[in-house]
Amino acid sequence: MSNVTTPPMNPNSSPPRKINSHRPTYSRFTQQELPACKPILTPTYVISAFMIVTVVFVPIGLASLFASRHVVEIVNRYDDYCAPYGSRSDKVRFIQSDADKTCNTTITVPKHMKQPIYVYYQLDNFYQNHRRYVKSRSDQQLRNKNYENDTSTCKPEDSVNGTVPIVPCGLVAWSMFNDTFSFSTNNNVKLPITKKGISWKSDRDHKYGKDVFPKNFQNGSLIGGAHLNESIPLSAQEDLIVWMRTAALPTFRKLYGKIEVDLKAGDTINVIMQNNYNTYSFNGKKKLVLSTASWLGGKNNFIGVAYLVIGGLCFVLAMTFTAIYLVKPRRLGDPTYLTWNRSPAGH
Amino acid sequence: MSLDDAQIVNVNIPQQQSPNNSSSQEQIQSKSWRTNSLQEPGFVDLGSKRVPHGSRQGDVDSERFSISMSHREINDEDARLVYVNDPLKTNERFEFAGNSIRTAKYSVFSFLPRNLFEQFHRVAYIYFLIIAILNQLPQLAVFGRGASILPLSFVLLVTAVKDAYEDWRRHRSDRIENNRMCSVLVNEKFQEKKWKDIQVGEIIKFSVDDTIPCDAVLLSTSDPTGVAYIQTINLDGESNLKTRYAKQETLSKIPEKDMINGLIRCEKPNRNIYGFTGTMEIDGKPLSLGPSNIVLRGCVLKNTNWAVGVVVYCGRETKAMLNSSGAPSKRSRLETRMNREIILLSVFLVALCMAVSVCAGVWLKRHESELEILQFYRKRDYSEPEVENYNYSGVGMEIFFTFLMSVIVFQIMIPISLYISMELVRVGQAYFMIRDDKMYDETSNSRFQCRALNINEDLGQIKYVFSDKTGTLTENKMEFKYASIFGVDYSGERTNFEGEQRGYCIEVDGQVWRPKMKVEVDKELLELSKTGNSTKAGKHIFDFFLALAACNTIVPIVVDTSDPAEKLVDYQGESPDEQALVYAAAAYGFMLMERTSGHIVINIQGERQRFNVLGMHEFDSDRKRMSVILGFPDGSVKVIVKGADNSMFGIIDNSINLDIIKATEGHLHSYSSIGLRTLVVGMRELGVPEFEQWQSSYETASTAVMGRVALLRKVAINLENNLEIVGASAIEDRLQKGVPEAIESLRKADIKVWVLTGDKQETAISIGYSSKLLTSNMRRLVINSNSKMSSKKSLEDALVTSKNFLASEDEDTGGSDGNTNSVALIIDGTSLVYILDTELEEKLFQLASNCAVVLCCRVAPLQKAGIVALIKKRTDDMTLAIGDGANDVSMIQMADVGIGISGQEGRQAVMASDFAMGQFRFLVPLLLVHGHWNYQRMGYMILYNFYRNAVFVLVLFWYVLFTGFTLTTAITEWSSVLYSVLYTSVPTIVIAILDKDLSRRSLMTYPQLYGAGQRQESYNSTLFWLTIADTLWQSIVVFYVPLFAYWKSDIDGSSLGDLWTLAVVFLVNIHLAMDVIRWTWISHASIWGSIIATCICVIIIDVIPVLPGYWAIFELASQGSFWVCLLGIQIAALVPRFGIKMVKQHCKPSDIQIASEADKFGNSMELGGQEIEMNPARR
Repeated sequence: MSNVTTPPMNPNSSPPRKINSHRPTYSRFTQQELPACKPILTPTYVISAFMIVTVVFVPIGLASLFASRHVVEIVNRYDDYCAPYGSRSDKVRFIQSDADKTCNTTITVPKHMKQPIYVYYQLDNFYQNHRRYVKSRSDQQLRNKNYENDTSTCKPEDSVNGTVPIVPCGLVAWSMFNDTFSFSTNNNVKLPITKKGISWKSDRDHKYGKDVFPKNFQNGSLIGGAHLNESIPLSAQEDLIVWMRTAALPTFRKLYGKIEVDLKAGDTINVIMQNNYNTYSFNGKKKLVLSTASWLGGKNNFIGVAYLVIGGLCFVLAMTFTAIYLVKPRRLGDPTYLTWNRSPAGH
Repeated sequence: MSLDDAQIVNVNIPQQQSPNNSSSQEQIQSKSWRTNSLQEPGFVDLGSKRVPHGSRQGDVDSERFSISMSHREINDEDARLVYVNDPLKTNERFEFAGNSIRTAKYSVFSFLPRNLFEQFHRVAYIYFLIIAILNQLPQLAVFGRGASILPLSFVLLVTAVKDAYEDWRRHRSDRIENNRMCSVLVNEKFQEKKWKDIQVGEIIKFSVDDTIPCDAVLLSTSDPTGVAYIQTINLDGESNLKTRYAKQETLSKIPEKDMINGLIRCEKPNRNIYGFTGTMEIDGKPLSLGPSNIVLRGCVLKNTNWAVGVVVYCGRETKAMLNSSGAPSKRSRLETRMNREIILLSVFLVALCMAVSVCAGVWLKRHESELEILQFYRKRDYSEPEVENYNYSGVGMEIFFTFLMSVIVFQIMIPISLYISMELVRVGQAYFMIRDDKMYDETSNSRFQCRALNINEDLGQIKYVFSDKTGTLTENKMEFKYASIFGVDYSGERTNFEGEQRGYCIEVDGQVWRPKMKVEVDKELLELSKTGNSTKAGKHIFDFFLALAACNTIVPIVVDTSDPAEKLVDYQGESPDEQALVYAAAAYGFMLMERTSGHIVINIQGERQRFNVLGMHEFDSDRKRMSVILGFPDGSVKVIVKGADNSMFGIIDNSINLDIIKATEGHLHSYSSIGLRTLVVGMRELGVPEFEQWQSSYETASTAVMGRVALLRKVAINLENNLEIVGASAIEDRLQKGVPEAIESLRKADIKVWVLTGDKQETAISIGYSSKLLTSNMRRLVINSNSKMSSKKSLEDALVTSKNFLASEDEDTGGSDGNTNSVALIIDGTSLVYILDTELEEKLFQLASNCAVVLCCRVAPLQKAGIVALIKKRTDDMTLAIGDGANDVSMIQMADVGIGISGQEGRQAVMASDFAMGQFRFLVPLLLVHGHWNYQRMGYMILYNFYRNAVFVLVLFWYVLFTGFTLTTAITEWSSVLYSVLYTSVPTIVIAILDKDLSRRSLMTYPQLYGAGQRQESYNSTLFWLTIADTLWQSIVVFYVPLFAYWKSDIDGSSLGDLWTLAVVFLVNIHLAMDVIRWTWISHASIWGSIIATCICVIIIDVIPVLPGYWAIFELASQGSFWVCLLGIQIAALVPRFGIKMVKQHCKPSDIQIASEADKFGNSMELGGQEIEMNPARR
């Protein structure tokens, strides 16, 4: 494909140069004649490009759809039935009160679920990506004991009475989710939930200090969410670590734990929840999600459908181009198509 | 004439009466030399195109300059008073600048503030700065401090380092310059002094080959008549010698012995290198000073052993330093159009910001009651004892802040980096243009020069070329061709002595002297010339060649050669025509050997003869002739006159030799119709009484203090009459190499070539034919009128004729080949006087646009500019003016692109031009190849930069819609900042410098391809809107594919941000890769390198533990969905663009497309093998 318009200059053929000649020294670079590959998209290339896309995309799309169909997902919205019926302000008052917030439900497993089964809680309409929110944290403080007082970015949840620093500070930690779930089968055998290893290993090892312990947390007049055990270092507080990975979108899931046994189709599971977290004030929904995972993650048909659409479209385009090239062929580089050859009164 | 007298008298009288008195009238305006050069009328028809600078008796230039400032006088406030040889007194009242120069801009201390100040003159930097400052306000801090300042500081730093380096080099050269030595008169002795210590008022002495350190008025020279020859190559690039004169009154003084005391009163320092006015009072006698009395800094003294002068301007006040500023800046058409689109983009930006801030307001309003306890908002701060609002100041203010914040986040919507990239790209393009060995001129050893760096891409859109003739189309290397001597035409067979005799030569003191240039001679004439005075024909020939050798201002200079026994005689002079005539005379055995102001020595057929030069009336543009009064060895006195035919036939005695005159006229006509420049020579013997009468009036006139020029002119006119015709000469001004081919190519490229010349009509037309500008099947319309009415009538007639002609042509040929038959308009300067700047302009424009060729003859410099303006005013088409002389300066500056030919005629045109080159034919590669490339590259780069920035901004914008309109960016702030600086900047610049849509060969073979630029195919509104639509689609794909893929998943913001970053960077780089036409290793390296660099940067950002996104990229990349998304985005985003591009390529292929296919597949049959052979790559 190399396009060489002129052979490299033979140094002997050049005229003898004067000492102070201004003649530009010849090089292929300065004459803009570097060897170059000049791909021209011939019909064959175009059609095969589209066909390759089709050939690659359709199988991936099918595989994704297949994977997604194999994911078993149980979604249970509980914020509505776990609160007294009535107006929104009733619910807000309820959630802010000291009343017992235990709440039960049973869910039926629709299909066989292979372990590990991931237990998520899903919040809707919760802007964990809100600018005020994401900025209100101190990564230094989380990592290093010596930066305990590094709370300038944590406002308005930086210190108690303006003097004693809060660890972990900031709105993100303060608003930590505090509903709890426990599962048992219908014959009251407890289903164990593993809460170890739900956060990223990198976070536990490097981002959260092993010697940083919560201090003055949730001591203010306004309780945002969970309390933390002050004797456990932050690096072991996996719920916090998960929560601190702020979600990208206002509808998000966070990993609560893993069930490491298979669930059979038709099994009913009793769930006992502590409905503590206030989403009523902003009409946010809370859902409990049990899901298996595929190589593509959770249940989501979008990628599969998108790939099939793109693959299909490219197939159609390939066919269209074939038709165009057959119906109206044009020899490449045919000078009769040049405008001044085509229209007689060119200029 | 009489008016001139009056003015000159007025100028000079007050000076004479009260030289020291400050009788103030009007202020002198220091005129720039450009203005002055525009005012010089058309003195173009004869050989010498310039007014001679060094007239001894009268200072034509200075007088004209004074006239132009009529009735003004230098009063004390505006004058500079220089006490000769008394620097202390001179500098007493005013401290004049010393001679130390400082081209360096900065010192160590002033560097930082001054450099910053200068850099912030650019709008782009101010925009950067404002955004950075906004970001520092705590309310608006979107990015961290470091991230927001980084791009600005990076650019500032790079520019500062570059400036510092350049300045260091200037410091170094200043130091060398300032420490050069010169001898200065101190305490009646000449002592060596450093240049920087020279002061105004001092007397300095320089010897041969010295560079003159400052502007000085000459007092005396080694020549008894006070002549000094200087070379001004450093000043204006003209390599021939110029003469300067010391005043006769100061000539005899010896500075060491005679205390020279006096007062020079001259104008304030100004840039006019061709003008100087002042008076010198020596021994109580006022003398007027003109430009021929001053030598300027940078000139070199030649052929004069020594010269002594008084320093009047020093250092930065010298004319050379005042002129050292750069070329005028123009703005390219593409950039002007681009700025319009940028305004549109700012409107988009404001719209986006408005949308975000309004939505944010609505959101806040709807959630107002909840804000206090919303976990993610928390309006109040409870941590302090007193509960107060935290960072919340009401919905109104929040809207306002949101608006400003969104401006900060979306700032790169306005592609400020584009301006910086464009500058870099232009530098790169200029590099390639300068280095192009096909635009290197061997004869003048000059490369192409880019003097203006911001209009490269205009070269690709030229529609009109306005060309000078002499020196531009022709070589301005005059060659003596034919002679008509006493009615006999010698235009027979040419012989040149190459090989057999190596030209004419003589022996002097055992050395062989030969003229530097060889001339082809007519055999018959050569034989006859050797017969000497014996025959009648021989006598006429003797007279003719003696006249040619004597009647001129040429100075012979004897140059050594490598062979010690051989010397070359180099004829130096200001007029190439005169040089040609003297060389011709030498070839026929009349060799001018020596010229002083009092005599000349001519070697006539081997016999050395001395003639006394009793007087000389130099050429001026009113008389259009010159004469010399020669005392022959036999004691007779003759006046020899040489001039343009129309001025000569009036003063030739018609009563004798009428048939000879008629015959000569016939010969002249035939010479000029083949494009030769003609001169007529006449001669008369002066009787003793007449000579004495002339001599006394000549002496009176030449010593007159005032009105010298006019007096001398009167004396000349009285003398120059009743001449006997001697003959006429024909000089060929040869066409430059490749001119007809170049014009043919330009015409094929649909560029209209207009020739504007000062020559007469027949010469212009014949050059038109020989340069293929005019062809025999063209219909010629000639307009020669001398009144407004007749101009109007001929214009109207011509308009009707041209319309009828074009219409009939269309019918006849059915429009089959419009090229062969077309209309050519030939118009002369007199008609233009009545047409330009009147209502007839419009008609001329209409007529001209019907014509394929326009030829304007006998036009004055200002008219040239007027014609360019005529087109510029009425069309949007780009104009290019090309010329080589001072008379083209106005035209070059008026046109959109000005090109100077760095040839024979000095450098004024080059100094005023945007580009300079050695030959006219280089216009073809310049426009068709480089212009095309530059335009196509720049157009693509602008569109791509719009796209690149907008797609990123839109991705940010879509995300903002999902964050409660709070301008959170999932993409890290560092990536946002680095995006346009590092991730995507290099490939676009590299591609814009290196990519070639077509090979040089195709572009040269098919000049029609140039039309792409003229039709603005690479950059127009349609393309802009298509790009915007494409941008919108691509941003939607980039943003929404991951959004839906990760909807309701546990993805965190940083991971998704990394995915978006990589997706968008991959996309824009692959988009660029898709449009690259020629892949060299550099393009590969820059595009794939950018992608790799981006990945590395993203990884680096994600391994910093204190950033929220720690390790996100690794967690992300371990999931299959990331890779699937990344692949899907690229394909989905690019399929529409690819598909549309392919459909267009197949169904409506552009010329460029077809040519590049042909280029690749080498359809040599259709291209025509012979056509390729015609344009072989020149090695």
